[in-house]
Amino acid sequence: MLSFLPFIMLAGIDRQAGVIVVIGYLIVFLVLVLLYLVFRYVLPLFFKIKLYRRAAKEGRALDDSELNVMTGEVNAAIATAIYLYFSELHDEESNIITIRKVSRSYSPWNSKIYNMRNLQR
Amino acid sequence: MRRFITVVGIISILSLTWMAFIKPSADQQVTDTLRVEQKSPVIDSPGEDEAPEFSGIKKFWEYTGFRNATIGHLGMIAIGLLFIFLAIKYDYEPLLLIPIGTGILIGNIPFFQDGGFNLQLGIYQSGSVLNYLYFGVLKGVYPPLIFLGLGAMTDFSSLLSNPRLMILGAAAQIGIFLTFLGALLLGFAPPEAGAIGIIGGADGPTAIFLSSRLANGINLLPDGTTVANLIGPIAIAAYSYMALVPVIQPPVMRLLTTPKERRIRMKPPRSVSRLEKILFPIIGLLLTSFISPSSLPLLGMLFFGNLLKESGVTKRLAETARTSMVDIVTILLGLTVGASTQADIFLTRESLLIFVLGAISFVIATAGGLIFAKGMNLFLKGDNRINPLVGAAGVSAVPDSARVVQIEGLKADPTNHLLMHAMTPNVSGVIGSAVAAGILLSFLG
Repeated sequence: MLSFLPFIMLAGIDRQAGVIVVIGYLIVFLVLVLLYLVFRYVLPLFFKIKLYRRAAKEGRALDDSELNVMTGEVNAAIATAIYLYFSELHDEESNIITIRKVSRSYSPWNSKIYNMRNLQR
Repeated sequence: MRRFITVVGIISILSLTWMAFIKPSADQQVTDTLRVEQKSPVIDSPGEDEAPEFSGIKKFWEYTGFRNATIGHLGMIAIGLLFIFLAIKYDYEPLLLIPIGTGILIGNIPFFQDGGFNLQLGIYQSGSVLNYLYFGVLKGVYPPLIFLGLGAMTDFSSLLSNPRLMILGAAAQIGIFLTFLGALLLGFAPPEAGAIGIIGGADGPTAIFLSSRLANGINLLPDGTTVANLIGPIAIAAYSYMALVPVIQPPVMRLLTTPKERRIRMKPPRSVSRLEKILFPIIGLLLTSFISPSSLPLLGMLFFGNLLKESGVTKRLAETARTSMVDIVTILLGLTVGASTQADIFLTRESLLIFVLGAISFVIATAGGLIFAKGMNLFLKGDNRINPLVGAAGVSAVPDSARVVQIEGLKADPTNHLLMHAMTPNVSGVIGSAVAAGILLSFLG
């Protein structure tokens, strides 16, 4: 990266500007590479150690399935299967039909005779 | 293709009009000022034999927009209308282009300001409402608030599931540094060049933040002169090109990749635990701000917003940050940035150069990400190979460039979905451009 400096200076640009470009770009890379290293290696290691310690506490060896990481697609497939299973449960009905009696108590407010004008005969 | 031709055609016509009526140099501005000074007494002292009613009408006429309009104002109004047209017709970043376009219209309504007369109307006139709102841009208040909202709405799980794609976000920042060099070659002062360079990061708030610190028209250069105020042109260029990501990026993507490369399938991302999601903003904040403390206002708010979201115990705060608050700030930012393009201040040779440099930097940034992804493929095999299109999302226009990658990927293979993969370089590009802004600020500020 630093080998670009002479070219930048040849182009008639101040040496300090060349240093800013080279150092700046390297720092951007450094930050993101460090983040990558932390989340690719350090954190997984931390989680693995945690799993081993928990297993040791429970007095068992770690299962391979515990160490494998599931992809989002597998999770989505499992979630869909569970959803479909529960939505299909609806088809199993009890086959008991109950007709509930609907009764309305009498009230003069809904009586028809009060809705009509009592014409004199 | 029709859309591309329409957009490019309109922009070319406007640019030609602009170039035809542009202010050539500072000498011309001095002549204009002199002419204004000669003209002002005529306005203030009507003829003695003139009837008072005619004098009133004349004064009213002097104050109307029709009397004060220049070709520059009309040109800028046309640009404002173009922004609104692009937002409504083609759905290009309507949340940004509608406020900015309207802001351009508001900022370019011609009004009486001969001899520095202050009607307290314009954005550059002290005491006006727009001037108060513009304070948030000038002092770099709005960009960190936008970053807070961005953090509260961003799901970093795609990044955590495949962290190696983060490096593509760094690769695309080459646009920033090469544009910085280009601006220096074109004769801009180093702080101005730094502010212009950040357009290559494709991140509007970062561009405003850095230009408000480096090219604010207040700071003094080593030779004693004042740095130019480039906030308006830089912000407009950054947001315009962000909105034009669906127009600018696809030709570069097709040019630099083969159909076979565009069909590469990537491994599906793994599921990410809640603990990882909580740890990311904390570790990210500490790591990035220890290396580049100048980017703290932006990255601090970004990671704070994300922690509000991922902690799960501050749902109300996260909800406010990603909805109402970010909406309010977007409205204010868009409107004031638009209004800052007042023709007599905005239409300069420098603005045009900034627009040209901005377009080039976008292309360089896109190409940088693509080429780096292709380079990474030289060392990767089988399932681990990267679809180079994903590299184009390294420019931090979130989520537009990721969306463009998804669309281009689907064109090559209708069953290949790249959106989740493209989100990683996209959000890491945001971090990368904020770090780059911090570095430029610490060197040039």
